[in-house]
Amino acid sequence: MLSSPAPVPAPILAAIPIRYMRISRHRRLAWIASAIACGLSLLGLALCWLNPAIASPLKPGLDFTGGTQIQVERRCQNACAELSVSQLQQRLGDLSLPPVPGETSPNLSSSAVQVLDGGRSLLLRLPALSADQSTALIEELTPVTGPLKTSATSINTIGPTLGSRLLQGSIVSLLVSFAAIAVYISFMYNGVFAFLALLCLAHDVLITCGVFAWLGLLQGIEVDSLFAVSLITVAGYSVTDTVVIYDRIREQRKLLADLPLIDQVDVAVDATLTRSLYTSLTTLLPLFGLLFFGGSSLFWFAVALIIGIAVGSWSSIGLAPTLLPVLSRR
Amino acid sequence: MARQQGWVAFILVLAIASGVLLATYGLQLGLDLRGGSQLTLQVMPAGAILKVESEQLEAVKEVLERRINGLGVAESTLQTIGTDQLILQLPGEQNPGRAAKVLGSTALLEFKAQKPGTEKEMQGLLQLKRQAEAVLAAKQPKTTSTESGLPPPPPKPQLAPEDLAKSLRALGLSVPEGSSETDQIEVLLAEVNRRVVALYGPTLLSGKDLTSAGRQQNATGNAWDVTLGFNREGGEKFASLTQAIAGTGRLLGIVLDGRSISEASVGAEFKAAGIAGGAASITGNFTADEARDLEVQLRGGSLPLPVKIVEVRTIGPSLGAENIRTSLLAALSGLVLVGVFMVLVYRLPGVVSVLALSLYALYNLAVYSLIPVTLTLPGIAGFILSVGMAVDANVLIFERVKEELRSGNTLIRSIDTGFARAFSSIFDGHITGLISCTALFFLGTGLVKGFAVTLAIGLLLSLFTALTCTRSLLRLLMSYPALRRPTYFLPAAQLPASAA
Repeated sequence: MLSSPAPVPAPILAAIPIRYMRISRHRRLAWIASAIACGLSLLGLALCWLNPAIASPLKPGLDFTGGTQIQVERRCQNACAELSVSQLQQRLGDLSLPPVPGETSPNLSSSAVQVLDGGRSLLLRLPALSADQSTALIEELTPVTGPLKTSATSINTIGPTLGSRLLQGSIVSLLVSFAAIAVYISFMYNGVFAFLALLCLAHDVLITCGVFAWLGLLQGIEVDSLFAVSLITVAGYSVTDTVVIYDRIREQRKLLADLPLIDQVDVAVDATLTRSLYTSLTTLLPLFGLLFFGGSSLFWFAVALIIGIAVGSWSSIGLAPTLLPVLSRR
Repeated sequence: MARQQGWVAFILVLAIASGVLLATYGLQLGLDLRGGSQLTLQVMPAGAILKVESEQLEAVKEVLERRINGLGVAESTLQTIGTDQLILQLPGEQNPGRAAKVLGSTALLEFKAQKPGTEKEMQGLLQLKRQAEAVLAAKQPKTTSTESGLPPPPPKPQLAPEDLAKSLRALGLSVPEGSSETDQIEVLLAEVNRRVVALYGPTLLSGKDLTSAGRQQNATGNAWDVTLGFNREGGEKFASLTQAIAGTGRLLGIVLDGRSISEASVGAEFKAAGIAGGAASITGNFTADEARDLEVQLRGGSLPLPVKIVEVRTIGPSLGAENIRTSLLAALSGLVLVGVFMVLVYRLPGVVSVLALSLYALYNLAVYSLIPVTLTLPGIAGFILSVGMAVDANVLIFERVKEELRSGNTLIRSIDTGFARAFSSIFDGHITGLISCTALFFLGTGLVKGFAVTLAIGLLLSLFTALTCTRSLLRLLMSYPALRRPTYFLPAAQLPASAA
């Protein structure tokens, strides 16, 4: 079981250079915290999946479900006139769009309408429309919305096949890169190191996903292709972060060869503590810039990265090094 | 010392070259930053072809390029993405509907003769077709027929709802409960078209034999015809085709992408030699735009494989400008934060790292302009992130230098050991990063692939700037005795008594 370190002769204990803390003293706490976070994440993903309105572990956005998203800005003098969602939905229901030969006309009654910025801009989520239909639809809205700023319109149409291809491509490439990284670490260090690096990575990605599952459940936040990109980044960063500490452990194993692994790890983690925190901080600082000033389109991308990198920093300090002696002993 | 100056000179030359490169070529901005439309076209396998090969993708691209040129959109670009996708960018285009229509169809033009003994069935079907189209035209004030002002339709009976239901039943069609009249008519028309096409014989002449296409207003002046010119072989085929059906009451069918667009009768006067001269026109009651689009498609040739438009993104120019503004603000604020942090924590080396990071950003942008990498909103986010990660290497080095100083080493020695000892961790970190990038690049699609490229460029450059720029600049500064003070690196309290 998880036995405490074997008693060490006093003179050597005094020689162990510790500035801040011995991570092994807090390892149970670290494991419990991570286990709770992982459990909550799994619960969030499961609840999302069981939720009939979502029916998948994360709430998929337009990029994965396919469809058309139209954002328009109204041209108003001072304040925009009141505009109710039901008014717009009724208008959408009454529309008839130019047909596409060989296809039935899309059913617009299930469209979602959001009024943003105090009525200034509108966000419509529709079934997939052809380019012509989207333009016609915007024109047909003007009787209800009043004149629109054409230069501020954005239309995104994504076919349903594209999203699943993107998802498949990202998952396959992630798995292959994990395998390659595992081979590299096993070669440079050993199999246990590689296993723990991947465990940390899975931990970081799981918690990031878990947070977004809860956000999807509670706030209706959806994941898009940028979220997939942020997961890839988090995975890459997590490994890099872990490898930096591994590098120091490898060095201490040579310098303090007489000591048990648990002490070598403690020294290595302690010595790298400031730099681990600082490297995470310097990565997080620009992301906070993105969060506060980057505008709405990058907001959730920044959130995902901030969560992932913070968790990644935690797991590379609190998880990988503390599990190393336990697994290496067997 | 001489070697140090050599490096500094090299770094300066690189910086100047990057500046010149950026000033000359500039950065290629994505459509989300400058406004415009982007269409993603998926090439679909068809018939005997189960998987799209690269030659077929190229062949499709060639045809599409000809069509785009025919459209006359300035600055458009068409790129292949992955194994079976093409991305068309139309900067400044706010209404991609026309491009989508022209590019999205195969434009396979076929001439067929009606099979003998089917005249009665054909007549019935065509009558139903005209009725249904008339109803649609009445419902859609914007679409084709009314605008073109058909020669006042010889009493075109409207299709009453009961008749529509009866016709649907007669054709063996069932429509979902509660679907609109328009939908029902669309279903009806699709079935009528299928049956009409089935009444034609084999394809006797196709768009392959075309040498030219044009358009002209028809005799009534209300609608447009598309004119065709055939090569010699095509002309002969057309003559024998028309000769075979002349005066029989059987029709000549012109089928575009499996849709019968024109059914023409050939007068008995062509019984002798058919319609010779290698020219023909399609009277399909086109509007001016429709005629032009068809002309562009026919001139460009038909696509060897069908394409499907899987993604259309349109962004208004002022939204693009807004995106540039916010992302610049985000980038600057983030970088200033990092710079302040580095200077506060690491003092003199912190200043050096800010310089090295500025060089990193400059080189990075220069490489973007050289390759060229199209800068998109997510791309900028990736760039900002990569700067944050590039600092990591500096943090690793400076922390190591601090450790060496604390353990009582001299300044110069600490710097050298710091760089040497930090190297392996920086190197390992960058290698694992590059491994992920390689996998993402070869297996990922679109967005992911672009991200992998920018991240890989960032990693390679940060390896260079951290190990070379930071080091040479720091060494250069250390050649000035006035700067050679440990307290410029570390608070005096942390220094061992002997070194302070």
